[in-house]
Amino acid sequence: MSCYIELQNISQSFQATQSKVTLFNNLNLRVEQGKSYAITGPSGAGKSSLLMLMSGLEQPTSGQGIYSKNGQSHSLAYLKTDIGFIFQQFHLLPELTALNNVALPLKLRGDKRAMNKAKIWLEKVGLQHRENHKPSELSGGEQQRVAIARALVFNPNFIFADEPTGNLDKDSAASIADILFDCCRENNAGLVIVTHSDALANRAQQVFSLADGQLNNPLANVEVA
Amino acid sequence: MLSQNLRLAWHFFQQQKSASYQRLLRWTQGILMIFIITLSLTSNSIQDYLQNNLQGLLGADAVISQQPMLTQQQLSALSKLTNKIATTQQVSTTLTHGAQWQQAKLKAVDDSYPLQGELLTATTLHGTGQVTKGGPNTGDIWLDARLFASLSLNIGDVIVIAGQDFIVSRVLLHEPDRLMEGHTVAMRAMINPADMNGLGFSAELIRHRYLVNADTEQTNQLIKWQQAYLPAAQVYHKKGNHPLALFWKRTENFLGLASIILFFMAAIAIEQLTQIHMKKDQYFSAICMSLGASKLTGVQVSMFKWLLGIVTLLPAVLLLSTAAHWSIVNWLGGTFSDLQWSWDLWPVVRTVAAISLVFAVFHAPVWFSLYKNSVGRLFHNNNSGLSHWFSKMCSLLVLSGVAVSYSDNGLLTLMMVSAIVITIGLMIIMSWSSLTLGEKLTQQISGLIPFALFMMKQRILSKSTQIIGVGLSAFMLLFTLMLLKDLGASMSSYQREHDGNVIVSQATQGQMTHIQTWAKQNAINIRQSKPYMYAKLIAVNEQRLAAFTQKPSDSLATLSNAIRLHWTQVIPANNRVVSGQWWQSNSQDWQQVSIEQEIMTDLGLTLGDSLTFVVGQQSIKFTIAASHEFKPGGGSMTFWVQMPPAALAHIGGAHFNMASMELSDQQFHLLTPLWQKFPTLRMTSLKEMTARFDNILAMITKVISGFSLMIILLASVVILASVNALELKEKKKNSIIMSFGFTRGTCFKLNIIEWLVTAGITAAGAILGTYIAGLLIYQSQFSLTYQPDFIWLLLTLSLVLCSVTCFGIYASRHSLRSSVRTLMSEA
Repeated sequence: MSCYIELQNISQSFQATQSKVTLFNNLNLRVEQGKSYAITGPSGAGKSSLLMLMSGLEQPTSGQGIYSKNGQSHSLAYLKTDIGFIFQQFHLLPELTALNNVALPLKLRGDKRAMNKAKIWLEKVGLQHRENHKPSELSGGEQQRVAIARALVFNPNFIFADEPTGNLDKDSAASIADILFDCCRENNAGLVIVTHSDALANRAQQVFSLADGQLNNPLANVEVA
Repeated sequence: MLSQNLRLAWHFFQQQKSASYQRLLRWTQGILMIFIITLSLTSNSIQDYLQNNLQGLLGADAVISQQPMLTQQQLSALSKLTNKIATTQQVSTTLTHGAQWQQAKLKAVDDSYPLQGELLTATTLHGTGQVTKGGPNTGDIWLDARLFASLSLNIGDVIVIAGQDFIVSRVLLHEPDRLMEGHTVAMRAMINPADMNGLGFSAELIRHRYLVNADTEQTNQLIKWQQAYLPAAQVYHKKGNHPLALFWKRTENFLGLASIILFFMAAIAIEQLTQIHMKKDQYFSAICMSLGASKLTGVQVSMFKWLLGIVTLLPAVLLLSTAAHWSIVNWLGGTFSDLQWSWDLWPVVRTVAAISLVFAVFHAPVWFSLYKNSVGRLFHNNNSGLSHWFSKMCSLLVLSGVAVSYSDNGLLTLMMVSAIVITIGLMIIMSWSSLTLGEKLTQQISGLIPFALFMMKQRILSKSTQIIGVGLSAFMLLFTLMLLKDLGASMSSYQREHDGNVIVSQATQGQMTHIQTWAKQNAINIRQSKPYMYAKLIAVNEQRLAAFTQKPSDSLATLSNAIRLHWTQVIPANNRVVSGQWWQSNSQDWQQVSIEQEIMTDLGLTLGDSLTFVVGQQSIKFTIAASHEFKPGGGSMTFWVQMPPAALAHIGGAHFNMASMELSDQQFHLLTPLWQKFPTLRMTSLKEMTARFDNILAMITKVISGFSLMIILLASVVILASVNALELKEKKKNSIIMSFGFTRGTCFKLNIIEWLVTAGITAAGAILGTYIAGLLIYQSQFSLTYQPDFIWLLLTLSLVLCSVTCFGIYASRHSLRSSVRTLMSEA
């Protein structure tokens, strides 16, 4: 049975030095496993904050988040074990090889076949020949491919990607986007991308634009409640 | 340009000074500076004191000291060289009164005494001192206040010495030539020379001193005359060295050598912090260079910043080291009476300059990396491997420098450095093997422990540095504490077991024969008895001893006085030959000796070297045929120099004996009549030895406690520095783990496991290192069999494990303040 994440009347604000800053107000959103979403918008609009709320890693100022799995509703805290992250800066551990970086989440979960599974995923992202290389020996695009493999290796239901191509040139960005979308589709993982890139955003099934605290759906085919 | 860079350095220094890596650097530098400056100031005060002391307490312009009396011919030659002479004679005795007995130095002075200064005596125990000319009348005895009190005497009481009555007529308050006994705390008594002759002590037991008044020219002539005609005698004069100067120099060297471990720990802490400094300074330098500044600007600013760090640290360091110096001088007042506290600029300047140079060498890799790297490299913090090795070489250079400058006992230095190197090697092997094995064995097991082992194995280089730093601290702490504990415990039990509870350190042939009969009559067991004669080493390979070596050492200090020369045909049961060949029973060559290995090392002697000894009035040349060392199990009585018995036919010196006996509690009262009959018999009971030992131990305890405190402080800094150096990496690791859906609790558990493994390897390495150091050093330096107490070691292991884990977890708490959000914000 498919899973989904639903944000209901979510508001987020914080206290700055002298005034209260509201990022967004009464926002409603639903993302489903197996589909892809893009959130665009100007810097400082709160895209990353929305990603944090959606992943259950931060609490909203008001409103409710629900994680529905196998027909049962849970709080978003329950989501933690079913998500993977991809970052703009890749954030691979520099002292580990590509293979060990990919195997990391499996090893943490005590998976005895961690290395074998990691090898399969490196092959999927086309880096089987680089498995013993450390991050400093890989290009930006290669590092991000390792990061994608690492995020997907433990079969999470959702992938959250924060500017995954922000540090890459045009060709590498296109290649990374291919891999990211293909892998998520193959794995039936929901993909939520925060990006400034229209090219990347347009590859998602649904695109949201976050500006002035409002979440708009420019293509009008989104499931905004 | 320079002033501009200085201003820039000041600006950055102000901005960075509260950063944790700067604070840790200040702690490391501060602790070491306080230790070394305090040591230097204390040493300077004592050397100054000794020099002044020499001026005021010699009781004459020069003193000639030797065991035999000068012949009439020698005395007339001496009279021609000087204006005035006073003669004193001294003998070690045991005085008794009622059932009490006390060891004391008995001194006889002639009418000319003292030549300079004042002899002060009093008529009551707490009476005011009166200046007195000449010594007591015949039949009178003067005792110092401590001896007077310990024998429960009153003025007018009678003391019996060797069957002769003496009336206690005065209390001895001050002797102007007291310096000659400055390093002993022996109690003192004074009689008339005529009585000394009347007591009939063997001539070889009496030491003669000739106090003379002489100007500089006469003193120089006197020294030349002594070297030519009395080579075995000692001359002290106002322009020369204090007898204690060498002793103190050795103490200072020992502490300095011990400080090598502090430098080592500081090197590790600074090396860890250097990684952060390098990143910060490289980034700044890269920005400057990208804006058109020269490479030199970055280096200069970094150097100024470092210098400002040292300069701003100085006020606190000087204040604290001055306070420590003041406390130590007060504490040492018990050993060096009238030692006054004074603060001298020059030793401080010298020490600060030297230690700043050491810190500069430690910090040099930062400047080297700024100078060698390009803008691109600087921005990306990509250091060449050269910089890494340069850093290691710098540390090695400094540590070798410290070891060389403070080393006076080659063997001890070698052993200390060997123990450290072995411990480091052990810890590297243990880290690598246990993590590799742990990782391999737990590959098929799920859970956090395999993951923690996997991560540690992947970070083996940084983990090993951390383990070595903490492990060495624990090793040094354990070793010092163990030494403290074991010296007390095993010394007394060992001696009791093998040597009995009464030691005779000097008995003449007549005395020994009597003791043997007395022991037989009273069913007392004499456990060991070994003969010897006194011999003074005056030359090595025809070169005067003083010219042959000037490096202060235990061996040289002992050889500057007469030593005990033992003769034996076979290798003693408690000795083993290390090199060379022991003499055959039919050998006609009597001019050969075996020398203890430590003396060989300290003095740089080799087999075949010739040694000239003076025995009695006779000068004898020996060749070193063998070198021996102590072997446990056959009693602790051992000799540094041994010769074949065939030599006795050619040497006319007086024979003495060392012996050990076991007395029951009921038999101890039998000692009093023995002493009354032979006041010069040097005999000590275990109880007295233990009491003396306790005093020494109390002093060592204080020194070691202070030193341990330094080690604990620096160990904490090493842990903090290693955590600090890895903090960013750890934060990132924790954030990444959280991005896999794990909680902060998981990161905390991983942290605990990592620290438990680190502490486990550290503690095991430290204990193994301590065990090896014990085996190496105990035997050679303290003649003790090392018998480790495994329960104590296990308890210590648990304690080290707990302390390091708790402190490590506490120090790493900042790395747990991480979140996925921080990874996102790093755009």
